[in-house]
Amino acid sequence: MIACATVIEDMLPLLPEDVPHEVLDFGLHINPAELKKVLQEKINEASRDADVLLLGYGLCSMAVVGLQATTAALVIPRTDDCIAIFLGSCNAYKVETKKEPGTYYLTKGWIEVGDTPFEEHKKLIEKFGEAKAERMTRLMLKNYKRLALINTGQYEIERYRAYTRETAEKFGLRFEEIEGSPDLVRKMLFGPWDDEFVVVPPGETVTYQSFTQH
Amino acid sequence: MSQKLIDAITGMREEDALAITNELLDSGVAPVDILNACKEAMEVIGKRFESGESFIPELMLAGEMMSAISDVLKPRMAEEAATEKLGKIVVGTVQGDIHDIAKDIVSFMLDLNGFEVTDLGVDVPPAKFVEAVKQTGARIVGLSGFLTLAFDPMKETVAALKSAGLTDVKVMIGGGQIDENIRQYTGADAYGKDAMAAVAIAKSWA
Repeated sequence: MIACATVIEDMLPLLPEDVPHEVLDFGLHINPAELKKVLQEKINEASRDADVLLLGYGLCSMAVVGLQATTAALVIPRTDDCIAIFLGSCNAYKVETKKEPGTYYLTKGWIEVGDTPFEEHKKLIEKFGEAKAERMTRLMLKNYKRLALINTGQYEIERYRAYTRETAEKFGLRFEEIEGSPDLVRKMLFGPWDDEFVVVPPGETVTYQSFTQH
Repeated sequence: MSQKLIDAITGMREEDALAITNELLDSGVAPVDILNACKEAMEVIGKRFESGESFIPELMLAGEMMSAISDVLKPRMAEEAATEKLGKIVVGTVQGDIHDIAKDIVSFMLDLNGFEVTDLGVDVPPAKFVEAVKQTGARIVGLSGFLTLAFDPMKETVAALKSAGLTDVKVMIGGGQIDENIRQYTGADAYGKDAMAAVAIAKSWA
């Protein structure tokens, strides 16, 4: 298993002890070219000892397109990004997007890693002072209406709920809690790898079509 | 003098940037030179963002400064530029996506380069694009989207224009990781990597 730092949080409770896992930095997601490079390196290393590599990623801004393992199969959730993984399916993600496209999603992983506009806001205050930081962050959030905590049921929800509620109030967003689901993670770990997964045989390359045609 | 403007923008000093723009204009500096200074400032901020030194909210404020400055410059530039428009364009961020930094820059550049732009905003359903094209008589549509989730709505919008009989309308797409492969997937006529590419494509269709 090679997974992003935010996704692994929700996988660890289900991950069998005999499945080795590698965790990659969440910050990589803003630079898809760099994420692709790091993922390929990790795939090359890991495929020496494994027949199947599970990637705890989605399309992630096309970062997984072009990846290849010469001797191992690659299994990737057929999703745009990790939000579908937390919600349990692509379909659940589409329903939420339709309900409110202007949603900023938070999970335990994101809050812990701290790589969100709300944590960046603290750095902006240091740099520019309270008033200007407030103007900047609100500008950035101007199309966002909802701040949603995805509750995947794994952890001390009260703490993350309080954080999300306070943050929503502070920036004029509507707080909501969305029920997550471990279905996709469970299926990834234990099968079956059906339509909800992209399965790339050894030696073949991940394409965008791998995600759209099934 | 232009350096003062660059420093104000990169230093996120909103009021100063506008005041300096007015000073520059009063002292006879050409609007196009002021625009070039803005471009230089944006490049500095863009590099800082890539290196992780700056965050998206800083890009947003820089964008706000750019549009405030352009509002001041536009009337002066219109006096100089040819009054005849090159053509009408409808732009918008497609349904399900709310990212607009790039779309706003593209709208701004198209407008500056002589196009009459109708900007429909964000999360725009296919039917709204069709309606706007019919209303304005635009022959070019620009679809923007940052998320990979935007590719299907782009495809649907291209299909909606076709099935509404608007087969002579050209569609260009852009944003995020869009490439030739995605252009083919959506059925669009062209894709662009940045705002200048959007202007070049639109001009080739005008």
